Amino acid sequence: MTLHCFAMPELFYENWTTQLRKGLLELAILNVLGAGPLYGYEIVRRLGDADSLVITEGTVYPILSRLRNEQYVESYIEESTSGPPRKYYRLTARGRSELRKMNEHWERLHEGIGQLRKERGR
Amino acid sequence: MMDLTPDAKRRFDEYLQRVHTALRGTRAIESGEVEQNVREHVEFALAGAPAPVGAEHLGAVLEQLGPPERWLPEEERPLWRRVGDRILHGPEDWRLAYLTFAVFSLTIVFFPVGGVLLLIPAFLLARAHVELLKARGEELGPRRWLVLPPIASVMVLVTASALVTPIALSLVLGGERDTLAFFGFDPQDRYDRLRLHAGFAATGTGIGWLVLSAIFAAMLPQMQKLFAPFLASLRRTHALTLAIAGAVLIGIGMVVLYVM
Repeated sequence: MTLHCFAMPELFYENWTTQLRKGLLELAILNVLGAGPLYGYEIVRRLGDADSLVITEGTVYPILSRLRNEQYVESYIEESTSGPPRKYYRLTARGRSELRKMNEHWERLHEGIGQLRKERGR
Repeated sequence: MMDLTPDAKRRFDEYLQRVHTALRGTRAIESGEVEQNVREHVEFALAGAPAPVGAEHLGAVLEQLGPPERWLPEEERPLWRRVGDRILHGPEDWRLAYLTFAVFSLTIVFFPVGGVLLLIPAFLLARAHVELLKARGEELGPRRWLVLPPIASVMVLVTASALVTPIALSLVLGGERDTLAFFGFDPQDRYDRLRLHAGFAATGTGIGWLVLSAIFAAMLPQMQKLFAPFLASLRRTHALTLAIAGAVLIGIGMVVLYVM
Protein backbone atom coordinates (compact mmCIF):
# COMPACT_ATOMS: atom_id res chain seq x y z
CA MET A 1 0.00 0.00 0.00
CA THR A 2 2.78 2.38 0.98
CA LEU A 3 4.73 1.49 -2.15
CA HIS A 4 1.62 2.04 -4.23
CA CYS A 5 1.08 5.50 -2.75
CA PHE A 6 4.65 6.63 -3.43
CA ALA A 7 4.99 5.09 -6.89
CA MET A 8 1.66 6.24 -8.31
CA PRO A 9 2.15 9.98 -8.87
CA GLU A 10 5.42 9.58 -10.80
CA LEU A 11 4.08 6.69 -12.85
CA PHE A 12 0.88 8.55 -13.49
CA TYR A 13 2.74 11.63 -14.70
CA GLU A 14 4.95 9.52 -16.93
CA ASN A 15 1.96 7.73 -18.46
CA TRP A 16 0.07 10.95 -18.86
CA THR A 17 2.88 12.76 -20.68
CA THR A 18 3.47 9.71 -22.91
CA GLN A 19 -0.19 9.54 -23.89
CA LEU A 20 -0.36 13.28 -24.41
CA ARG A 21 2.74 13.25 -26.59
CA LYS A 22 1.39 10.33 -28.62
CA GLY A 23 -1.88 12.12 -29.14
CA LEU A 24 -0.23 15.34 -30.20
CA LEU A 25 2.38 13.85 -32.50
CA GLU A 26 0.05 13.78 -35.51
CA LEU A 27 -0.88 17.41 -34.93
CA ALA A 28 2.81 18.31 -34.59
CA ILE A 29 3.76 16.49 -37.80
CA LEU A 30 0.94 18.11 -39.76
CA ASN A 31 1.96 21.52 -38.42
CA VAL A 32 5.60 20.94 -39.35
CA LEU A 33 4.45 20.07 -42.88
CA GLY A 34 2.13 23.09 -42.87
CA ALA A 35 5.20 25.26 -43.51
CA GLY A 36 6.03 23.36 -46.70
CA PRO A 37 7.26 20.02 -48.06
CA LEU A 38 9.96 18.29 -46.02
CA TYR A 39 11.78 14.98 -46.18
CA GLY A 40 11.49 12.43 -43.37
CA TYR A 41 14.75 13.13 -41.58
CA GLU A 42 14.08 16.88 -41.59
CA ILE A 43 10.61 16.33 -40.09
CA VAL A 44 12.16 14.22 -37.34
CA ARG A 45 14.83 16.85 -36.72
CA ARG A 46 12.30 19.67 -36.42
CA LEU A 47 10.14 17.66 -34.05
CA GLY A 48 13.26 16.93 -32.02
CA ASP A 49 13.82 20.69 -31.66
CA ALA A 50 10.64 20.93 -29.60
CA ASP A 51 11.77 19.85 -26.14
CA SER A 52 8.48 18.44 -24.91
CA LEU A 53 8.06 16.41 -28.09
CA VAL A 54 11.25 14.39 -27.61
CA ILE A 55 10.40 11.18 -29.38
CA THR A 56 11.76 7.90 -30.58
CA GLU A 57 12.54 8.92 -34.14
CA GLY A 58 11.24 5.69 -35.66
CA THR A 59 7.69 6.45 -34.50
CA VAL A 60 7.41 9.38 -36.93
CA TYR A 61 7.59 7.31 -40.13
CA PRO A 62 4.67 4.98 -39.32
CA ILE A 63 2.60 8.08 -38.52
CA LEU A 64 3.61 9.60 -41.85
CA SER A 65 2.50 6.37 -43.56
CA ARG A 66 -0.82 6.49 -41.78
CA LEU A 67 -1.33 10.16 -42.64
CA ARG A 68 -0.58 9.28 -46.25
CA ASN A 69 -3.08 6.41 -46.18
CA GLU A 70 -5.64 8.86 -44.81
CA GLN A 71 -4.70 11.18 -47.70
CA TYR A 72 -3.69 13.99 -45.37
CA VAL A 73 -0.17 13.98 -46.81
CA GLU A 74 1.40 12.79 -50.04
CA SER A 75 4.98 11.82 -50.77
CA TYR A 76 7.26 12.22 -53.77
CA ILE A 77 10.89 11.51 -54.50
CA GLU A 78 13.27 14.30 -55.39
CA GLU A 79 16.87 13.94 -56.44
CA SER A 80 19.38 15.72 -54.26
CA THR A 81 22.70 17.22 -55.23
CA SER A 82 24.15 16.49 -51.80
CA GLY A 83 23.35 12.89 -50.98
CA PRO A 84 20.74 10.23 -51.72
CA PRO A 85 17.35 10.99 -53.36
CA ARG A 86 14.96 12.36 -50.77
CA LYS A 87 11.42 11.31 -50.13
CA TYR A 88 9.47 14.50 -49.50
CA TYR A 89 6.14 14.75 -47.72
CA ARG A 90 3.61 17.54 -48.22
CA LEU A 91 0.09 18.30 -47.05
CA THR A 92 -2.82 17.58 -49.37
CA ALA A 93 -5.88 19.87 -49.54
CA ARG A 94 -7.63 17.42 -47.24
CA GLY A 95 -4.68 17.51 -44.85
CA ARG A 96 -4.75 21.32 -44.76
CA SER A 97 -8.43 21.38 -44.00
CA GLU A 98 -8.01 18.74 -41.28
CA LEU A 99 -5.02 20.59 -39.82
CA ARG A 100 -7.08 23.79 -39.60
CA LYS A 101 -9.78 21.94 -37.66
CA MET A 102 -7.24 20.23 -35.42
CA ASN A 103 -5.49 23.53 -34.66
CA GLU A 104 -8.80 25.19 -33.83
CA HIS A 105 -9.65 22.33 -31.51
CA TRP A 106 -6.23 22.55 -29.90
CA GLU A 107 -6.70 26.31 -29.36
CA ARG A 108 -10.06 25.74 -27.69
CA LEU A 109 -8.57 23.03 -25.52
CA HIS A 110 -5.63 25.22 -24.57
CA GLU A 111 -7.92 28.15 -23.75
CA GLY A 112 -10.20 25.88 -21.72
CA ILE A 113 -7.33 24.59 -19.62
CA GLY A 114 -5.97 28.14 -19.27
CA GLN A 115 -9.37 29.29 -18.05
CA LEU A 116 -9.50 26.49 -15.49
CA ARG A 117 -6.02 27.35 -14.26
CA LYS A 118 -6.98 31.04 -13.95
CA GLU A 119 -10.07 30.13 -11.93
CA ARG A 120 -7.92 28.03 -9.63
CA GLY A 121 -5.59 31.00 -9.14
CA ARG A 122 -8.40 33.33 -8.04
CA MET B 1 25.83 4.65 -50.13
CA MET B 2 26.99 4.52 -46.52
CA ASP B 3 30.51 3.52 -45.74
CA LEU B 4 30.28 1.29 -42.67
CA THR B 5 32.83 -0.83 -40.83
CA PRO B 6 32.10 -4.60 -40.99
CA ASP B 7 30.77 -4.50 -37.42
CA ALA B 8 28.51 -1.56 -38.17
CA LYS B 9 27.31 -3.18 -41.38
CA ARG B 10 26.45 -6.37 -39.51
CA ARG B 11 24.58 -4.38 -36.89
CA PHE B 12 22.67 -2.42 -39.55
CA ASP B 13 21.75 -5.62 -41.42
CA GLU B 14 20.51 -7.13 -38.16
CA TYR B 15 18.37 -4.06 -37.51
CA LEU B 16 16.87 -4.21 -41.01
CA GLN B 17 16.27 -7.94 -40.63
CA ARG B 18 14.36 -7.32 -37.41
CA VAL B 19 12.34 -4.61 -39.14
CA HIS B 20 11.39 -7.09 -41.89
CA THR B 21 10.50 -9.72 -39.27
CA ALA B 22 8.32 -7.24 -37.39
CA LEU B 23 6.52 -6.29 -40.60
CA ARG B 24 5.99 -9.86 -41.77
CA GLY B 25 2.36 -10.65 -42.40
CA THR B 26 1.12 -7.06 -42.46
CA ARG B 27 -0.63 -6.02 -45.63
CA ALA B 28 -0.94 -2.27 -45.13
CA ILE B 29 2.79 -1.63 -44.86
CA GLU B 30 5.43 -2.36 -47.46
CA SER B 31 8.58 -3.53 -45.77
CA GLY B 32 10.60 -2.33 -48.79
CA GLU B 33 9.36 1.20 -48.25
CA VAL B 34 10.11 1.03 -44.55
CA GLU B 35 13.63 -0.22 -45.28
CA GLN B 36 14.06 2.71 -47.63
CA ASN B 37 12.92 5.08 -44.86
CA VAL B 38 15.35 3.52 -42.41
CA ARG B 39 18.25 3.67 -44.86
CA GLU B 40 17.47 7.25 -45.82
CA HIS B 41 17.16 8.32 -42.20
CA VAL B 42 20.39 6.66 -41.13
CA GLU B 43 22.22 8.04 -44.14
CA PHE B 44 21.16 11.60 -43.29
CA ALA B 45 21.90 11.12 -39.61
CA LEU B 46 25.41 9.91 -40.41
CA ALA B 47 26.12 12.54 -43.04
CA GLY B 48 29.31 14.30 -42.09
CA ALA B 49 30.53 11.50 -39.82
CA PRO B 50 34.07 10.31 -40.59
CA ALA B 51 34.04 7.24 -42.86
CA PRO B 52 33.94 4.38 -42.35
CA VAL B 53 31.25 4.75 -39.68
CA GLY B 54 31.78 2.43 -36.72
CA ALA B 55 29.26 0.28 -34.88
CA GLU B 56 29.20 2.63 -31.90
CA HIS B 57 28.29 5.67 -33.96
CA LEU B 58 25.69 3.73 -35.93
CA GLY B 59 24.34 2.23 -32.70
CA ALA B 60 23.61 5.70 -31.33
CA VAL B 61 21.61 6.56 -34.46
CA LEU B 62 19.69 3.27 -34.35
CA GLU B 63 18.95 3.79 -30.69
CA GLN B 64 17.46 7.17 -31.47
CA LEU B 65 15.38 5.51 -34.18
CA GLY B 66 13.96 3.11 -31.62
CA PRO B 67 13.39 -0.66 -31.64
CA PRO B 68 12.67 -2.17 -35.08
CA GLU B 69 9.26 -3.33 -33.86
CA ARG B 70 8.22 0.33 -33.53
CA TRP B 71 8.17 0.68 -37.31
CA LEU B 72 4.96 -1.23 -37.32
CA PRO B 73 2.08 1.09 -36.34
CA GLU B 74 0.09 -0.08 -33.33
CA GLU B 75 -3.09 -0.80 -35.30
CA GLU B 76 -1.13 -3.12 -37.61
CA ARG B 77 0.49 -5.14 -34.86
CA PRO B 78 -0.76 -8.63 -34.03
CA LEU B 79 -3.29 -8.80 -31.24
CA TRP B 80 -1.03 -10.76 -28.87
CA ARG B 81 1.71 -8.17 -29.24
CA ARG B 82 -0.69 -5.29 -28.67
CA VAL B 83 -2.07 -6.99 -25.58
CA GLY B 84 1.48 -7.63 -24.32
CA ASP B 85 2.45 -4.04 -24.91
CA ARG B 86 -0.70 -2.76 -23.26
CA ILE B 87 0.18 -4.73 -20.17
CA LEU B 88 3.79 -3.56 -20.15
CA HIS B 89 3.48 0.00 -21.40
CA GLY B 90 -0.19 0.79 -21.80
CA PRO B 91 -2.28 3.16 -19.74
CA GLU B 92 -2.08 1.94 -16.19
CA ASP B 93 -5.85 1.75 -15.86
CA TRP B 94 -5.97 -0.93 -18.52
CA ARG B 95 -3.07 -3.10 -17.39
CA LEU B 96 -4.96 -4.92 -14.67
CA ALA B 97 -7.86 -5.48 -17.08
CA TYR B 98 -5.59 -7.01 -19.71
CA LEU B 99 -3.78 -9.10 -17.13
CA THR B 100 -7.12 -10.39 -15.84
CA PHE B 101 -8.21 -11.31 -19.34
CA ALA B 102 -4.86 -12.95 -20.09
CA VAL B 103 -5.13 -15.20 -17.01
CA PHE B 104 -8.77 -15.95 -17.84
CA SER B 105 -7.78 -16.89 -21.41
CA LEU B 106 -5.18 -19.30 -20.00
CA THR B 107 -7.96 -20.85 -17.92
CA ILE B 108 -9.81 -21.69 -21.12
CA VAL B 109 -6.75 -22.75 -23.12
CA PHE B 110 -5.50 -25.09 -20.39
CA PHE B 111 -8.94 -26.21 -19.26
CA PRO B 112 -8.37 -29.89 -20.18
CA VAL B 113 -5.18 -30.03 -18.09
CA GLY B 114 -6.36 -28.39 -14.89
CA GLY B 115 -6.55 -24.84 -16.22
CA VAL B 116 -9.72 -24.35 -14.23
CA LEU B 117 -7.50 -23.65 -11.22
CA LEU B 118 -6.37 -20.46 -12.98
CA LEU B 119 -9.92 -19.24 -12.61
CA ILE B 120 -9.10 -18.44 -8.98
CA PRO B 121 -6.31 -15.90 -9.75
CA ALA B 122 -8.37 -14.56 -12.68
CA PHE B 123 -11.32 -14.05 -10.34
CA LEU B 124 -9.15 -12.36 -7.69
CA LEU B 125 -7.60 -10.03 -10.28
CA ALA B 126 -11.04 -9.15 -11.62
CA ARG B 127 -12.31 -8.49 -8.09
CA ALA B 128 -9.28 -6.29 -7.39
CA HIS B 129 -9.98 -4.29 -10.54
CA VAL B 130 -13.66 -3.81 -9.73
CA GLU B 131 -12.78 -2.68 -6.20
CA LEU B 132 -10.05 -0.35 -7.43
CA LEU B 133 -12.40 1.41 -9.84
CA LYS B 134 -15.11 1.58 -7.20
CA ALA B 135 -12.68 3.25 -4.80
CA ARG B 136 -11.81 5.77 -7.50
CA GLY B 137 -15.44 6.33 -8.37
CA GLU B 138 -14.86 5.25 -11.98
CA GLU B 139 -16.99 3.14 -14.28
CA LEU B 140 -15.71 -0.12 -15.77
CA GLY B 141 -16.77 1.03 -19.25
CA PRO B 142 -15.45 -1.12 -22.10
CA ARG B 143 -13.09 -2.82 -19.65
CA ARG B 144 -16.07 -4.87 -18.46
CA TRP B 145 -15.50 -7.19 -21.44
CA LEU B 146 -12.04 -8.00 -20.08
CA VAL B 147 -12.78 -7.99 -16.36
CA LEU B 148 -16.25 -9.45 -15.89
CA PRO B 149 -15.92 -12.88 -17.60
CA PRO B 150 -13.99 -14.46 -14.66
CA ILE B 151 -16.49 -13.06 -12.14
CA ALA B 152 -19.44 -14.27 -14.23
CA SER B 153 -17.83 -17.70 -14.68
CA VAL B 154 -17.18 -18.19 -10.95
CA MET B 155 -20.69 -16.98 -10.15
CA VAL B 156 -22.28 -19.41 -12.62
CA LEU B 157 -20.08 -22.27 -11.34
CA VAL B 158 -20.90 -21.59 -7.68
CA THR B 159 -24.64 -21.15 -8.37
CA ALA B 160 -24.83 -24.27 -10.54
CA SER B 161 -22.90 -26.32 -7.94
CA ALA B 162 -25.13 -25.06 -5.13
CA LEU B 163 -28.28 -25.98 -7.04
CA VAL B 164 -27.08 -29.29 -8.47
CA THR B 165 -25.29 -30.70 -5.39
CA PRO B 166 -28.53 -31.47 -3.45
CA ILE B 167 -29.98 -33.17 -6.55
CA ALA B 168 -26.87 -35.32 -7.05
CA LEU B 169 -26.54 -36.16 -3.34
CA SER B 170 -30.16 -37.17 -2.90
CA LEU B 171 -30.09 -39.18 -6.12
CA VAL B 172 -27.04 -41.10 -4.92
CA LEU B 173 -28.28 -41.58 -1.35
CA GLY B 174 -31.83 -42.47 -2.48
CA GLY B 175 -30.43 -45.32 -4.52
CA GLU B 176 -28.68 -46.89 -1.54
CA ARG B 177 -30.45 -49.82 0.10
CA ASP B 178 -29.02 -48.85 3.51
CA THR B 179 -30.48 -45.34 3.31
CA LEU B 180 -33.91 -46.70 2.46
CA ALA B 181 -33.66 -49.16 5.34
CA PHE B 182 -32.55 -46.41 7.70
CA PHE B 183 -35.79 -44.54 7.01
CA GLY B 184 -37.84 -47.72 7.36
CA PHE B 185 -38.56 -48.36 3.68
CA ASP B 186 -38.44 -51.82 2.21
CA PRO B 187 -38.95 -51.78 -1.58
CA GLN B 188 -41.00 -54.75 -2.78
CA ASP B 189 -40.20 -54.65 -6.46
CA ARG B 190 -38.39 -52.65 -9.14
CA TYR B 191 -41.24 -50.14 -9.49
CA ASP B 192 -41.35 -49.58 -5.73
CA ARG B 193 -37.60 -49.05 -5.66
CA LEU B 194 -37.88 -46.49 -8.48
CA ARG B 195 -40.73 -44.68 -6.63
CA LEU B 196 -38.70 -44.46 -3.43
CA HIS B 197 -35.63 -43.30 -5.33
CA ALA B 198 -37.65 -40.49 -6.97
CA GLY B 199 -39.27 -39.57 -3.67
CA PHE B 200 -35.89 -39.34 -1.95
CA ALA B 201 -34.45 -37.28 -4.78
CA ALA B 202 -37.34 -34.79 -4.69
CA THR B 203 -37.36 -34.49 -0.88
CA GLY B 204 -33.58 -34.24 -0.62
CA THR B 205 -33.39 -31.62 -3.36
CA GLY B 206 -36.25 -29.68 -1.75
CA ILE B 207 -34.52 -29.68 1.64
CA GLY B 208 -31.24 -28.66 0.00
CA TRP B 209 -32.89 -25.74 -1.82
CA LEU B 210 -34.68 -24.63 1.35
CA VAL B 211 -31.36 -24.50 3.20
CA LEU B 212 -29.82 -22.73 0.21
CA SER B 213 -32.58 -20.12 0.17
CA ALA B 214 -31.96 -19.45 3.89
CA ILE B 215 -28.21 -19.06 3.26
CA PHE B 216 -28.97 -16.87 0.24
CA ALA B 217 -31.26 -14.61 2.29
CA ALA B 218 -28.82 -14.38 5.20
CA MET B 219 -25.71 -13.76 3.12
CA LEU B 220 -27.09 -11.68 0.25
CA PRO B 221 -24.95 -8.56 0.96
CA GLN B 222 -21.76 -10.65 1.11
CA MET B 223 -22.67 -12.44 -2.13
CA GLN B 224 -23.46 -9.16 -3.85
CA LYS B 225 -20.10 -7.82 -2.78
CA LEU B 226 -18.28 -10.97 -3.89
CA PHE B 227 -19.86 -11.04 -7.34
CA ALA B 228 -20.19 -7.28 -7.87
CA PRO B 229 -21.36 -5.75 -10.14
CA PHE B 230 -23.63 -8.78 -10.70
CA LEU B 231 -26.53 -9.59 -8.35
CA ALA B 232 -26.96 -5.89 -7.55
CA SER B 233 -30.68 -6.02 -8.34
CA LEU B 234 -31.30 -9.14 -6.22
CA ARG B 235 -33.38 -8.75 -3.06
CA ARG B 236 -33.97 -11.11 -0.15
CA THR B 237 -37.47 -11.73 -1.46
CA HIS B 238 -35.88 -13.53 -4.42
CA ALA B 239 -34.76 -16.23 -1.97
CA LEU B 240 -38.45 -16.89 -1.44
CA THR B 241 -38.74 -18.25 -4.99
CA LEU B 242 -36.08 -20.84 -4.22
CA ALA B 243 -37.70 -21.62 -0.88
CA ILE B 244 -41.09 -22.14 -2.57
CA ALA B 245 -39.51 -24.40 -5.21
CA GLY B 246 -37.83 -26.34 -2.38
CA ALA B 247 -41.09 -26.63 -0.43
CA VAL B 248 -42.98 -27.83 -3.52
CA LEU B 249 -40.32 -30.46 -4.14
CA ILE B 250 -40.51 -31.63 -0.51
CA GLY B 251 -44.29 -31.87 -0.85
CA ILE B 252 -44.01 -33.92 -4.03
CA GLY B 253 -41.34 -36.11 -2.43
CA MET B 254 -43.51 -36.78 0.63
CA VAL B 255 -46.49 -37.69 -1.55
CA VAL B 256 -44.35 -40.05 -3.59
CA LEU B 257 -42.80 -41.64 -0.46
CA TYR B 258 -45.83 -41.94 1.81
CA VAL B 259 -49.05 -41.64 -0.24
CA MET B 260 -48.39 -43.37 -3.54
